[in-house]
Amino acid sequence: MRRSGWILDVYPSPPTSTNRFEDVGGLGAMTLWLIDDDGRTHRLSDSFTASFFVHGSHSELHDLCRMIHAARLPVQLRRAKRSDLFLRREIELLEIAVADPARFPLIVQTIRRLMARPLRAAEGSASKTCHQPALSYYNCTVPLAQFYLYAHDLFPLARVEVDADEAGRVRALQLCDSRWAIDYALPPLQVMTLRLEGDEGDPNHQGDPGHGARPRPIEIRCEGNTHVLQDDDPREFLSRVQELLQRYDPDLIVSSYGDSFILPRLLEMARRLGQPLAFNRDAAQPVQFKKARTYFSYGRVVFRSASHSLFGRLHLDLEDAFLFGDYGFDGLFEMARLAQMPIQRVARTSTGTCLTSMEMSTAYRENILIPSVKREAEMFQGVDQLPLADKGGLVFQPVLGLHEEVAELDFSSMFPSIMDKFNVSAETLNCPCCSDARVPPMSANSSRDIGGVPELGVTVCYKRRGLVPMTLAPIIAKRVKLKEKIRALPPGPERDRYKRLASCGKWIGVVSFGYMGHHNAVFGNITAHQAICAFARDRLLIAKEVAEARGFRMLHAIVDAIFVQKKNTRAEEYGELIRAIGAATGLKIDLEGIYNWVAFLPSRQDPRLPVANRYFGALRDGEVKIRGIEARRADTPAFIRNAQEEMIQVLAGATDRAEFRARAAQVMQMACGYLDRLRSGQVPFEELAITQRLSRNPREYAKATLNAIVANQLLDSGVELTPGESIRYVIVEHHAKAKHDRARALEHLDGALGYDVERYAELFLRAVESLLTPAGISAAMLEQWFAKELPAPQVQARLAAGTTPVYWGPLFEFVERAEMRNVRLALST
Amino acid sequence: MGRTLPSATQQILNEQEALAKFRRALRKEDQRALDDLFRAARYHVAAIGYTAHLLPFEAMLLAMLIEEHKRVLRLQARLGEPLEEETDETERLDPGRLPLAPNVD
Repeated sequence: MRRSGWILDVYPSPPTSTNRFEDVGGLGAMTLWLIDDDGRTHRLSDSFTASFFVHGSHSELHDLCRMIHAARLPVQLRRAKRSDLFLRREIELLEIAVADPARFPLIVQTIRRLMARPLRAAEGSASKTCHQPALSYYNCTVPLAQFYLYAHDLFPLARVEVDADEAGRVRALQLCDSRWAIDYALPPLQVMTLRLEGDEGDPNHQGDPGHGARPRPIEIRCEGNTHVLQDDDPREFLSRVQELLQRYDPDLIVSSYGDSFILPRLLEMARRLGQPLAFNRDAAQPVQFKKARTYFSYGRVVFRSASHSLFGRLHLDLEDAFLFGDYGFDGLFEMARLAQMPIQRVARTSTGTCLTSMEMSTAYRENILIPSVKREAEMFQGVDQLPLADKGGLVFQPVLGLHEEVAELDFSSMFPSIMDKFNVSAETLNCPCCSDARVPPMSANSSRDIGGVPELGVTVCYKRRGLVPMTLAPIIAKRVKLKEKIRALPPGPERDRYKRLASCGKWIGVVSFGYMGHHNAVFGNITAHQAICAFARDRLLIAKEVAEARGFRMLHAIVDAIFVQKKNTRAEEYGELIRAIGAATGLKIDLEGIYNWVAFLPSRQDPRLPVANRYFGALRDGEVKIRGIEARRADTPAFIRNAQEEMIQVLAGATDRAEFRARAAQVMQMACGYLDRLRSGQVPFEELAITQRLSRNPREYAKATLNAIVANQLLDSGVELTPGESIRYVIVEHHAKAKHDRARALEHLDGALGYDVERYAELFLRAVESLLTPAGISAAMLEQWFAKELPAPQVQARLAAGTTPVYWGPLFEFVERAEMRNVRLALST
Repeated sequence: MGRTLPSATQQILNEQEALAKFRRALRKEDQRALDDLFRAARYHVAAIGYTAHLLPFEAMLLAMLIEEHKRVLRLQARLGEPLEEETDETERLDPGRLPLAPNVD
């Protein structure tokens, strides 16, 4: 029977035998779920033989073969040749083919154990074993579903045509889709949402139900119907859930706190009462559980809650899905397609894992071995080299103050483009084949022929394409196409969809660079990471030089973006500048936009010290760009964030500095309004909640920060907290003598307590100060001002500006601040 | 992430800390001037980092000098001193006169 449809999910069918030694013939298979055009699901199975490889000396491999035969393992042995990326040549190996995918990991493990030998007594206890160190294992760590997808060049949600027999066994499978397609249809999915009734934050933080907290009812929505279920009678409750699951038969269950709260409780209840609960479509499989973990990534502690993956349906927990807030379902599906990884796994794993999957797929196609552990050590570096190499991108300090007519130029996908254009990959550096050290011909559009990697004296291969550039090139190309689409479309849902798709490419690009230096990245090494940084620094400086040669002044530059200014620039000059920089660097640079005005703010600690990433500005197209100030910070209460955003919108209407200053009065007026609301005590707690991520175990906090106080409160009420989890709290009395009384977890607040008005007013004034500093208004002046509560016309009068340049900031810049003097005068009278 | 060496900003802070005794023995107004100099070093942190000089303090001193020189130029401009192209040959050879760089702004 022929069918066309979309692949929903793939996984190894349950093992045909629990005995690892039993030969089941050709019965082992992958289960494939297909959704057809009418939204009907079909369960298919496809036989699949996965192979892994062992490399070692002839005698050792001979020993291994003998042992495998003696143990009668159900595998086929073959001699094979594959290329090893880092040895840069083909090597001869033993290929071990396993026909039953579900038992693949078990068989790998068994074989590795076979070759493990007892340690000699002199070296340690005799009971310990170690793996035979001379043997290397390849391709044995790839998850089977991905293996299957690579082998057939398939991906989740791919449109396919399948020819299957009556029992659902796949005879032929034809792909009618491409990972690089921009416009593709998605299957009609039956979506069910599953959440707790009400909107009261993390249910795991609400304490022990034994302490009187009544469990919140569960709300299930599907096909526009809403069902609210209360678990007063657990049996009745469970059969209701079961009935709804069967009635709607969802393809996708979208939950809030499903992973950490709802599913574990429902499943436990079903187990206790012995009632069926068909979260899986595939009855032969139990729900897959992975326990919660905490790890350190990109400078912060991350918490991943326990996960519950389903078989035959998808379960996504919005509270726990990776990057979901950034790219939504469109992005999630796109990422699964690009990474050739099951959707539920993509949602619960980092972009680094997706990138590794893409690299493994490339390796599989190119017959390159996938090492099971990273073996490439760091290259040797002298004491004079390390300081040059061990640096990131260049980060300048901006010229403080408010500037007009500033253009921001951004290198598009700078790091991935560097890898692509200059062929930077772990195995292409200092290759033995191209010792004459030139930038590879792929950068032929660059007129500057510098030797090898700038600064480092490392050569780059120009004869062979690197694995990472090979993986990234189509992704970069796709992102460029998507960006063109986005530019061509008017604002609306269609454009937003493309934006979300492009966001995937962005994240892969970001990660691809960081991952090069990661100790787990089997295809990366630190020298490649350093080489990319060295290219990035060099290209940013070239951009600066080109701009300066054309009469622009560089106000600021951060890694891949540069802010330049020239008075009375003709529109075409920007285009010329971009082309000139593109030609000189060999990289694509875009005009991010022209600011009517942009304000670079000083450090919070030292008002005379510039910092790289605290600025806001209004672009000519009306967009407002904000970095590093309160509205962008995750720990800013919603009330202050919204207020600041609204005030920025007012400033954004200004087209130059004079108008900015003129509008400052209006902002002050608005600020008075917000302040009144705060002081009235009527702002809801929800809007005042401060969200903080725990960086350590609550008991380990040395100082009684608000964070520590609240975490310990939660702990005392029976809530389990893990580093990386977020907590939300409201400041109740900032300077209370009893530390316990300073703040309360949002979940613990009731009407009995109020918030600390003065503390919130202080935080709010800081947000106002950030906006008005560029107009020359300081914190002290704001305080005086709000204490006096002047009427608007007088404020206006105070701000009426002169134009005498007054020295402002440390040693760096003149800013017109006559208005400040006027203000001082006005205040003193 | 995974840095072996201190960043340029960290190097500046280290130097500042190493000079804590020097600073302590200064008068308050002199302390403020010293702090200003270190701000100047912080301002040029990108250049200091990019040089990766084995003696980073030398690069910091240069950064401080640059800002001092810019201030001199500004003050000269404000005093209405003649710009380079306006000075005649004899004046230019006078060692007592600072050669003026072109106007920075």
